[in-house]
Amino acid sequence: MSDQKQQLLSVRDLSLSVAHSGTSVVKNVSFDVAPGEIVGIVGESGSGKTLATRAIIALIPPGIRHAGGSIFYKGKDVLKAKDGALRQLRGGEIGVVFQEPMTSLNPSMTIGRQLEEGLVLHKKQGPSERRENILRMLTRVGLKDPAGALAAYPHEFSGGMRQRIMLASVMLLKPALLIADEPTTALDAVIQRDVMELMVELTRAEGTAVLLISHDLPMVARYTNRFVVMERGVVVEQGTTGEILTRPAHPYTRKLLSSLPFRGDVRCIDKVKAPMVSARDIIVDFPGRKSLFKKGLAKRALHGVSVDIHVGEVVALVGGSGSGKTTLGRTIAGLVQESSGEILFQGKSRKSDWFDYRMNCQMVFQDPYSSLDPRMTIFALVEEALRLVPDLTATEKKKRALDTLEEVGLGGNFADRYPHQLSGGQRQRVAIARAIARRPKFLIADEPVSALDVTVRAQVLELFSNLQKRYGFSCLFISHDLGVVEQVSDRVIVMQDGRIVEQGDRDTIFDNPKNAYTRKLLSAIPALDLNGSGGVALKWRLDPRDDEIPNNQTRRVEP
Amino acid sequence: MNRFTFNGVIGGTIIALLFVVAATGLLWTPFDPMTLSFTARLAPPSGLHLLGTDEFGRDVLSRIMVGARASVWIGVATVCFAVVAGTLIGLLSGYARGWIDSVIMAFNNALLAFPGILLALGLLAVFGANQYGIIFALGIAYTPSMARIVRGAVLSLREKEFIEASKIMGNSEFYTMFRHVLPNCLAPITVLGTSMFGWAILSESALSFLGLGVPPPAPTWGNMLAAGRPFIEQAAWLGFFPGLCIALTLLGINLLGDALRDKLDPRMKGLK
Repeated sequence: MSDQKQQLLSVRDLSLSVAHSGTSVVKNVSFDVAPGEIVGIVGESGSGKTLATRAIIALIPPGIRHAGGSIFYKGKDVLKAKDGALRQLRGGEIGVVFQEPMTSLNPSMTIGRQLEEGLVLHKKQGPSERRENILRMLTRVGLKDPAGALAAYPHEFSGGMRQRIMLASVMLLKPALLIADEPTTALDAVIQRDVMELMVELTRAEGTAVLLISHDLPMVARYTNRFVVMERGVVVEQGTTGEILTRPAHPYTRKLLSSLPFRGDVRCIDKVKAPMVSARDIIVDFPGRKSLFKKGLAKRALHGVSVDIHVGEVVALVGGSGSGKTTLGRTIAGLVQESSGEILFQGKSRKSDWFDYRMNCQMVFQDPYSSLDPRMTIFALVEEALRLVPDLTATEKKKRALDTLEEVGLGGNFADRYPHQLSGGQRQRVAIARAIARRPKFLIADEPVSALDVTVRAQVLELFSNLQKRYGFSCLFISHDLGVVEQVSDRVIVMQDGRIVEQGDRDTIFDNPKNAYTRKLLSAIPALDLNGSGGVALKWRLDPRDDEIPNNQTRRVEP
Repeated sequence: MNRFTFNGVIGGTIIALLFVVAATGLLWTPFDPMTLSFTARLAPPSGLHLLGTDEFGRDVLSRIMVGARASVWIGVATVCFAVVAGTLIGLLSGYARGWIDSVIMAFNNALLAFPGILLALGLLAVFGANQYGIIFALGIAYTPSMARIVRGAVLSLREKEFIEASKIMGNSEFYTMFRHVLPNCLAPITVLGTSMFGWAILSESALSFLGLGVPPPAPTWGNMLAAGRPFIEQAAWLGFFPGLCIALTLLGINLLGDALRDKLDPRMKGLK
């Protein structure tokens, strides 16, 4: 292989297997990264994308064994390297940014010391030179007060800021290759875009190649030159980004592309009748920290928000983290007490008949791993929802529970299983079954598909839409993912800092956003069009900040 | 048979044997455990006295059999007391939070600040030195740590979304607490409960050693162990056999407790 010399990184027939059972988890994976190039690896959970890249820096978790193949970095086989040489490689030559900014910085060390650590190990610089370099880098990643940040601890920064700091600490060492493992998955859409832009800018300036691992196909498509699609440990397709997107060859790639959220149909909603649920001037204050002598200042989470949800309507509540969308949902659900304001259910105050409201207002939570009691079977979980329903006999309840499970695609022997025996998507189906078992008139869904893989997300969304059509419940759909919102909602409400900044019909909001924040949110997701050959055309919406970039062009790094 | 069930079977067997011995001791013993015999003082284990005799010529085996009843009873009753009281207090405290939690935990922490044995000693002075007094005193001494553990588990559980889901369904706080919170606290309760059984038997012996346990001549493993101490050079069997019984019981209880915890947890199913 003559081209190995020119490639920065060259993975050849890499296989990894579970040590005790011999099950292979990564099979004959090969790909290359040229200097300065951005290469993506796309796959769902369990595809082996993270394992394969961990092998590059010889950080395979215990229990996983190298079963064959080789990894050449600058022509040398990493897998045969000695420990000392590996340590030189890690950090110094190859930098890594991990997914979880909340845990990738050491909480007990100041930012300054953490950034210094790498420099001390890999670069010969004096203390004053180091400080200067660190300050310069922190300024470049957009920290407002770099000198102050040196003495600060990680908990003083938001997730987005931490990821910037993480990026700074990696880029300080000027690595030749940056491995970014889902670097922005834990962040919300706008910040996600900012961090990605920053990463691309920094690496382009330093000539660093990037290996970007993500489940988010549009994001990978936006920033990479080439990408690799992995499924169950096997590379199913690789090629230049444009080519794969427009002419996907492998069925799995097509499935991934068709799982991307597309705009749903326009539906007719009767808005003449009184709304199903109507929240009026809701104000929510969270009490500040109390101490012995003084009451802390209350934090106002919602500043007088009014929302109407009509019969059979799906209203999406979107906004970044801290926008108050979840608080509003939880207030309407009755989990948070409003400080002032009123919530009407079918025209009457919900307080006038709380039991009736409780019977008709149900909720689907975000995290399918913690929203189901681990000690109850699937059947018991769904049946419990019917416990308080009047006018149903025990046998009817049992039948209803089984029927509902059948409806969400968990018929047969699923009833006796426990939550831990199900996948994330299946658990979310149980959560949905539990919520609709009572046939509620109103459903609140708080980020119901955020924790799911792309293809599973598409299936759950489809199930949700079908159930909504069948039972016609009204729904408040809370999500930060505008793609999902575009698919399911009839109307969109955009929130920022506890206020509604824009609301309107879905098509109006998506095609003709007025508010600057809405435009910023929309700039983070692509507009998708399916072409005839199973591929898609990605179009990025305009960001108010960079008007000079034409609408349909992505920022690319030329090799 | 995997390791978990194997341990469970061993533990179960030991505990079953213990109950058989204790039950037999109620009905029949090789010798009368109270009869003094000047001629058979400090006899080593032999065909006649299987585990030897003590300084008053009483048969050690018979005394262990009778003592088993007292020790097991004190252990079981103390643990039941501490588990029930501690769990209720912990549940209430963790679930109610606010000032109720502050008040309960202030008391609890004050009790925790005392060494358990000192607390038990003080309480025994009030209740009187008999087995009910011991059960009560030890039970009260162990309750705070159980309450603390349960409260911690409840505090982390109540933040889970399934607790909120229960609220959304309209379930009462009481129902939620016993249907969703309590069953998920079972693992720490079983682990702590089984180790408490051991502490209770040992504490009883410590109290007996200080003269505040079950008063002689009635045998318990604890006071037999204490009584054997002066003769450890001449007649090691006096301390050895009661000690062995305590150790075996602890081992059995712990193995059984671990197996029970895994058995009760549906998440362990299918994870071999």
